[in-house]
Amino acid sequence: MIRIAAVGDVHVDQDVVGRFRPALNELPDCADVLLLAGDLTRHGTEAEARCVAEEFGGLGVPVVTVLGNHDHQHDRVPQVVEVLQEAGIRVLEGEGIVLEVAGGRLGVAGVKGFGGGFAGRCASDFGEPEMKSFVRTTNESAEALGVALRGLDCDLLVALTHYSPVPDTLAGEPLEIYPFLGSYQLGQAIDSAPTALALHGHAHAGSERGTTPGGVRVRNVAHPVIKQAYSIFHLGDHLDAGEVSRISHSGIQQPWS
Amino acid sequence: MSAYRDHAAGTPAVAAGPPAVAAAGPPDEYVEAEIQRLLAEDPAVAEQGITVVRRERGLVLYGEVESPHRREEILRRVAERFPDVPVTSDIGVIRAQAPTEVEQLP
Repeated sequence: MIRIAAVGDVHVDQDVVGRFRPALNELPDCADVLLLAGDLTRHGTEAEARCVAEEFGGLGVPVVTVLGNHDHQHDRVPQVVEVLQEAGIRVLEGEGIVLEVAGGRLGVAGVKGFGGGFAGRCASDFGEPEMKSFVRTTNESAEALGVALRGLDCDLLVALTHYSPVPDTLAGEPLEIYPFLGSYQLGQAIDSAPTALALHGHAHAGSERGTTPGGVRVRNVAHPVIKQAYSIFHLGDHLDAGEVSRISHSGIQQPWS
Repeated sequence: MSAYRDHAAGTPAVAAGPPAVAAAGPPDEYVEAEIQRLLAEDPAVAEQGITVVRRERGLVLYGEVESPHRREEILRRVAERFPDVPVTSDIGVIRAQAPTEVEQLP
């Protein structure tokens, strides 16, 4: 069994430092990894990233994250990533990582993702340059997620995004803003690999549970949705039974360390 | 003068009627839109998860934030920009305790 703790949209700044820490200090006893689903900061400044590093660094379990739209606000993404990585927080964008944990090899592939909407009600790569640029951003992000997922050689595969891959977990949000909250292309990428679980944030008024068209379980772990420091998921009971890994390497190597 | 007053003064129907009543009346759609954008775009707020609901007697702000300071800042900024709009807040601070249960997935 592999134990995954996850939360997104923690929007850390100085006023939040210390709020999560008591719960985070319990992680080594109850989880093998902590996955963060983006929007770690309010405005994406280095000062806020240092607050994130203070709150989520040195936890005694590996911490893996994607960035969210808030983390892009100040156009300081490389600096934010550097601060996080110096604190031992691994930032994924179109790549994957395999973690050797007690229950087996956990593969995590991540992208921020982007909006665009869901099947039958989505934006198209057509018209003005701004519109085409919007949709192409979505397509490229989803494609990078699919390649990263299919390239991981592991026992259990998890997709980590900020934007939602399905409309199910947006229930509670106004229908009119669904195209700003996620895109079906992310779901399609998740379904292109033997993904066991997809985690996302971004939709503060959404709901916890959903599935992709391919049947992959999706969980919205945005902090305002789960209303606790993190959620914990137990997966991969089959690994304990000594079954042979069903996820094989597809031949595309992703850079991870 | 607030943006709300600016807007009300520029509306012919309001100009023809008693301005005091219009200024104290319920906020319109444009005020709702401006507040929604203020909440996201004002660097002191930067919240996209707050819902603005127009009611007969004013606006109600719903949602959850990460600290009491942020809740106070939202109300302060909205009141500063729209001093004549009656605003009620029902914004909570999200709990951050450790979970008591796990979800078992296949």
